[in-house]
Amino acid sequence: MLGKDAMVYKVIRLADINQEDRRFRFTLNPADRRLLNSVREIGVLQPVIIIFRENRPVLVDGWRRIEAARACRLIELPALEVTGQTDDLAVFLLAFFVNYGQRAFSLAEKSLAARKFFEFRLHPDEIIERILPILELPPERRMLELMLEVSALDEKFLAIIHRRDWKPSTAELLLSFSPAERAWLFLLVERLSHNQQREVIENFFSLIRRTGRNLEELAMEPELAGAVDRLLKGETDAVDRLLGALRKANSPLLSRVNKAMDEEIKRLSLSGVKVDYDRSLEKRGLRLELEASEFRELKQAVKSLADSLETGDWNRLFELLHYEGE
Amino acid sequence: MDGLQIKKVWLDRTVERAPRTRFLLEKLGDRPLEIVENVEAVKRAIRLSPDPAGESKRHLFITRQKSFIRPCPCSPGCFGCGYWTIDLDLNCPFDCSYCILQKYLGFQPLTVAVNLEQLRLELDKIFSQRASGIIRMGTGELADSLALDELTGHSYFLIECFRGQERFQLELKSKSSLPRSLLEIDPPENVVLSWSLNPPEVIAREEKGTAGLEERLGAAAEAARHGYRVGFHFDPIIHYTGWRQDYERVIESVFRQIPVEVIAWISLGSLRFPADLLPLARRRFPESRIYDHEFIRSQEGKYRYPRPLRQWLYQEMVVMLSGFQAEGRLYLCMESAEVWREFSEKIKKGRLKTAFPFPWQC
Repeated sequence: MLGKDAMVYKVIRLADINQEDRRFRFTLNPADRRLLNSVREIGVLQPVIIIFRENRPVLVDGWRRIEAARACRLIELPALEVTGQTDDLAVFLLAFFVNYGQRAFSLAEKSLAARKFFEFRLHPDEIIERILPILELPPERRMLELMLEVSALDEKFLAIIHRRDWKPSTAELLLSFSPAERAWLFLLVERLSHNQQREVIENFFSLIRRTGRNLEELAMEPELAGAVDRLLKGETDAVDRLLGALRKANSPLLSRVNKAMDEEIKRLSLSGVKVDYDRSLEKRGLRLELEASEFRELKQAVKSLADSLETGDWNRLFELLHYEGE
Repeated sequence: MDGLQIKKVWLDRTVERAPRTRFLLEKLGDRPLEIVENVEAVKRAIRLSPDPAGESKRHLFITRQKSFIRPCPCSPGCFGCGYWTIDLDLNCPFDCSYCILQKYLGFQPLTVAVNLEQLRLELDKIFSQRASGIIRMGTGELADSLALDELTGHSYFLIECFRGQERFQLELKSKSSLPRSLLEIDPPENVVLSWSLNPPEVIAREEKGTAGLEERLGAAAEAARHGYRVGFHFDPIIHYTGWRQDYERVIESVFRQIPVEVIAWISLGSLRFPADLLPLARRRFPESRIYDHEFIRSQEGKYRYPRPLRQWLYQEMVVMLSGFQAEGRLYLCMESAEVWREFSEKIKKGRLKTAFPFPWQC
């Protein structure tokens, strides 16, 4: 384990740091406006951590500070240099735990950390038993495999996973698609919230399994194509339409009964009366709500309901709520 | 015993000298054995394997249970049947794609308890305290009741515990064949041997390692001829194109071999599973199609077929079973009161109230 005695303080030139060497980097947060403003005003006060590899300083920790320093055109900045014969695994442990105490890691960062530990030859069993629990991941071999798979994704996809704080189950589902399909899905869901991303991916997965058709074919289906095109153009408000169409395609029975129910309710032409029901059809009751802001409206609503009970086909509604079948 | 694919035996140090331990180890032969302080060491070995749920079925842990008997938790929002479970064994050597134990038991190995004297004390206490009504108890909740019986002889032990306790019924529920030892004893009236049933196609695809349909029915018929009452569980009923004809053939096979009079009960339950089972099951059984169906997410967080479909499945099963005068022996497993009410009206024709819908209460 490295201690403070294994480090020396120095001021280094920004240009000397070999920023191409990213062997210790696993964090993905970019420098934000607040950090930039801070560095612009008072410079970098907290030293970055470096180590010499092949006679050049390599960054161990402080990627955001370096980015901000470059943006603010700083020439020099303070650094702690890790000295002595320290192997990459020990250095990475330092980088890992320096960050670990400061904030929770995203799934993408966890995957990169797992990848680094693996590449620095920490034994897989030790990663599973020691590191995964620290990362708040189940200590299972499958989880390590999943993290290694996620870490191998293209950087721009990792950025999406990072920004939207994906859960392992979403990543696992995504990885079940082919690389080309993954790329298309990332493009489709890039700007959505994590819940929307998860639901779109899950629904496409289910639809492929249910229909035996591929993603490309499904995306060209008339019910889906319009919303897909709009989403690909960055129009995020098309997501509700897409999700509606996907849910409908994956829930044919409920969609059919719900549609018939909605048509029957509309046919009743009620005024001031709201008819509602459990759209999952688990409960078979109707809920009626009278809406009135004054006595006259209340009388109208009650009359509308009374007239409808005489002439409307309410039995049909209850037949639908009691429907049994495929 | 030959069918068990146990690759390692783990022994809890606290039961190293127990007589039952010697008995089990002799039967297990020369399999690798390791003595451990607790189950954590076993779980570690399982957790580090690429398929922990599958691996857990290949490690046998001999230990003691702190307590054995508890009420079946059923499922929140569902109409419970008042079952009590006896957790004598944990986990199951079979590998059903829909089995919730894959997730529910975590990394628990096949676990066999040897402190049977404590179980007997717990049973005696319950036998002496429970005042009225019929209490059903069974070992089939967290294990298959008969799958390890050639090794453990637990069924024989339990049957003898329940002998003469008329208000208490013991159910031994299984997907395996019939242990010969159960044919060497006089069957008590309050013991029911039961089998889960599905069409042969479903068994072959979704119930890996289990006995086939004909083997299960042959076992049930043999048990019935020997004097046991038997039960059947159509649970989970799987919906797919052509399901009705397949289940009809199963039902015809049942009644070709087993007279309705010896059947204590038949339960119906449709496919349901907790949400967190889904990714695991998809990974472990990529060829299975049962998870590609339309489901709703129920209030207790489980996926189920939509209610109209569930009720239709039950209704069709009732029609098929009524042809053999078995409708009075039916009950639903883990269903809402709403579905139960409709079901009861259909099968009981108003004779019974919903409060007492179970065949063993008739």
